[in-house]
Amino acid sequence: MTTTVVGFDQVTKSYGDVRAVDGLTLALHPGETVALLGPNGAGKSTTLDLLLGLKRPDSGTVGLFGTEPREAIVAGRVGAMLQSGGLMDEVTVAELVRLACDLHPRPYPVSEVLARAGVTQIADRRADKLSGGQAQRVRFALATAGDSDLIVLDEPTTGMDVTTRQAFWATLREQADQGRTVLFATHYLEEADAIADRVLVLHRGRLLADGTAAEIKAKAGARRISFDLPDGPVDEAALRALPFLTTLDVSGRTVRLQSSDADATVHSLYGLGLYPRNLEVAGLGLEQAFVAITTAEEARTS
Amino acid sequence: MKGLIRLELTRALRNRKFLFFSVLYPSILFLLIAGSADSTTKVDGTGLTLPTYMMVSMASFGALTAVLMGNSERIAKERESGWVRQLRLTTLPGRGYVLAKTASAAVVSLPSIVVIFVVAAVVKDVRLDAWQWLALTGAIWAGSLVFAALGVAIGYLASGDSVRPITMITYFGLSILGGLWMPTTTFPQWLQDIAAWVPTHAYAALGQAIEQSQAPHAKDLVVLAVFFALFTGGAAWLYRKDTLKA
Repeated sequence: MTTTVVGFDQVTKSYGDVRAVDGLTLALHPGETVALLGPNGAGKSTTLDLLLGLKRPDSGTVGLFGTEPREAIVAGRVGAMLQSGGLMDEVTVAELVRLACDLHPRPYPVSEVLARAGVTQIADRRADKLSGGQAQRVRFALATAGDSDLIVLDEPTTGMDVTTRQAFWATLREQADQGRTVLFATHYLEEADAIADRVLVLHRGRLLADGTAAEIKAKAGARRISFDLPDGPVDEAALRALPFLTTLDVSGRTVRLQSSDADATVHSLYGLGLYPRNLEVAGLGLEQAFVAITTAEEARTS
Repeated sequence: MKGLIRLELTRALRNRKFLFFSVLYPSILFLLIAGSADSTTKVDGTGLTLPTYMMVSMASFGALTAVLMGNSERIAKERESGWVRQLRLTTLPGRGYVLAKTASAAVVSLPSIVVIFVVAAVVKDVRLDAWQWLALTGAIWAGSLVFAALGVAIGYLASGDSVRPITMITYFGLSILGGLWMPTTTFPQWLQDIAAWVPTHAYAALGQAIEQSQAPHAKDLVVLAVFFALFTGGAAWLYRKDTLKA
């Protein structure tokens, strides 16, 4: 009996010269709700493809429930919704969902699956005549047609409006509350913050951070500092030399910067003999924290 | 697997354009070509009347349409849309997708063969022995598998944009060169020499041999077997390549 739902060990996958996934090692445990966070091109979709056995790693190993991914899928332990998962055309939503139920070893009743995904009203619509958000919900229905232990979703809320999005996350939370492991890729940081109890930050195919949303914010540790310098010319070079500075933006006499240690930065600011006015120091949202982590990483590697 | 076959079939039967071209269109062509022919004119060197000869050609043509047209285009489009990937996340075995497509095409190709036979018998008084009708149906139906394999291969070879022209060229090329629209005996000699090796020609010749109460020519069987091996091998190779890339 293993306690690892998903296991990546030193997994690398390249397309030509581009390393989409670069030495990735991670383990997911039962019952976790995990967000895979990263900008476009970070390697999120490739990671999920590897996890689901749609792609084979160049090196390293990928395991699902301690077996090959395909084996876990055949055993019905995984329900997945892909970003690029097309739907069959010329058939209705209900027919598609019935197919998914037919194919699952432990299916739920079709009507129940339709209701849970919120697609009962469009059950008789043709699957190729749906809006983006509706198609996403149908994909979700296909991913939850049976009693799976792991649900994998690649940017599930793309194309959904705000209301649908909230309803969708509520449904997903129910799935997690039933003890399922949920893994979803997203670049909406507020989604990771609100839903996930664990956030994996992926950048250029590497795992940049792994922790709770709060820990990620702390890891970025960044504060936003802004002030005006009304007296005399702004010496940008001197500002750039401030300690713990991560970003700097000077427009006219207004200076905005980010620092990983605001106290030390402000202290040095006065040490430069400057008299900043309207000084403001504020924490960063996860969005900026995320940008801060990735820019720091870029600075280190370039 | 059964669920997917059922759904593929539901969809094929719902597609009126596809049903028209694979089931009704061959009969209409048959009536246009054989309609004015009297039932005494024989097609050169076959001993068969024009309606009898064309009945087999058109039945072969109808079966070809049913198995080639639907499959190649759908497979290419569904590869592109990601439906094939989505299916790979289910318990459906890898081959299941292609088998379901082929099975549903085979179900549509059967009526397209039978409808032609009924039209030919009723309108043009084509008369054959009972065993001949049965053998014809069986031979044309089974032979269509060769082209089903070709359809799958094209589906895995072509992109969503290029699949239609590629299918059309293959389809018309095979139909005309194989003599499904007009007997190859009307072709110039050099073209007849080429046509003799085209799989659709061997396919129709199978049926015409049955009409002549003869055993099928060994050469036609060999040509069909070689192309079947070629198309299935090609389809399997392309399928595997596509799966690794996915």
